[in-house]
Amino acid sequence: MTSSGTPSRFLKSVLQNGVGRYVCQLKRISIIFSKNGPSSLGVRDFIEDGVVDYAKKNPGTVVYVSPQVCSKPKIVAEYLNGNVREEIVASKTSSQVSEVLTLLTNQSGLDVIRIRKPFHTDNPSIQGLWHPFTNRPLVPRTDDKV
Amino acid sequence: MTVRMSAHFTAILFERTSLVDEHFPVKMALMATLRRTWRVLTSRPSVLPPAVSRSQSSVSGHLVPVTSLSRPPWPETRPVPEEEQRRQHAALTSAVNRLIEQDDFGRLFAVVHIAGRQWKVTDEDLILLESHVPAACGERLRLEKVLLVGARDFTLAGRPLLAKELVRVEATVLEKTQSWPKVHMRFWRRHRFRRKRIVVQPQTVLRINSVRLAPALA
Repeated sequence: MTSSGTPSRFLKSVLQNGVGRYVCQLKRISIIFSKNGPSSLGVRDFIEDGVVDYAKKNPGTVVYVSPQVCSKPKIVAEYLNGNVREEIVASKTSSQVSEVLTLLTNQSGLDVIRIRKPFHTDNPSIQGLWHPFTNRPLVPRTDDKV
Repeated sequence: MTVRMSAHFTAILFERTSLVDEHFPVKMALMATLRRTWRVLTSRPSVLPPAVSRSQSSVSGHLVPVTSLSRPPWPETRPVPEEEQRRQHAALTSAVNRLIEQDDFGRLFAVVHIAGRQWKVTDEDLILLESHVPAACGERLRLEKVLLVGARDFTLAGRPLLAKELVRVEATVLEKTQSWPKVHMRFWRRHRFRRKRIVVQPQTVLRINSVRLAPALA
């Protein structure tokens, strides 16, 4: 699997975010964990300590906490452009879970695939595109032909 | 607020004469210009054929025929006396100052040095840095290392940087993600050597909000 074997996209933002004000792109976060399973220990600790502070710091994001019978606890993040990302947080500590949450919050919902160019402009040329006669000295005509 | 050009960061000012007006439909303007310029360039003044020049004395004629490689392609410049040079610089500075005061320029672009690279940047464009930036998402940054600022009719080039009181480039941190998982594999055939590593790097996306010039130069 190389760059040409995997999908790629150009650098863009969702609906020109940042030109006016910045809008956090994370819409909804669902923390799915089990009440008794050992792999959900870190998630349970995080829900005791940190989830309320997280929800208060990100007022634009809705946080759902749903204990279920599951073998692997996971965090499902939904973004404003409709993309859904699932991260499995089995056997992670509480701080690691909060790091995962920060990463998901700071992402926009665009795919994490190869980005072709690290820049994007809508106005690539301001002084005019170069062509071979730019900056070439003109020699004035001496004959009478038109 | 007038800006004094310090000894360290003097700006080289020059005006640009353009052949093409960028607002016309590109194809039409390009074809018209090429046709016109081609007609002008093909009408060269007649050159004496080599035989004739050789028969004349070497004072008036040429020893070697004149070709396109007889002289360098850049125009020949004579050294200008200091007084004349100072007058030219003053005229240029006042012309550019007038354009800036009247706000006669359109969109500005800047060459900015950040994350070990130089980027040509305008308003409303996106930049991807392959590194972690300590600012939070949504915070506004000021990019300080500006090497060059240009408009449609003039350019200000720094040596190597422009003064901070002269240009202001502002950006917003849009997202702080990770790169796609890159595969770093080493393989040595017939030696049973195979190593595979997945590399994920932090990335920051910046939106350049504005490139602004100070009111006037000194």
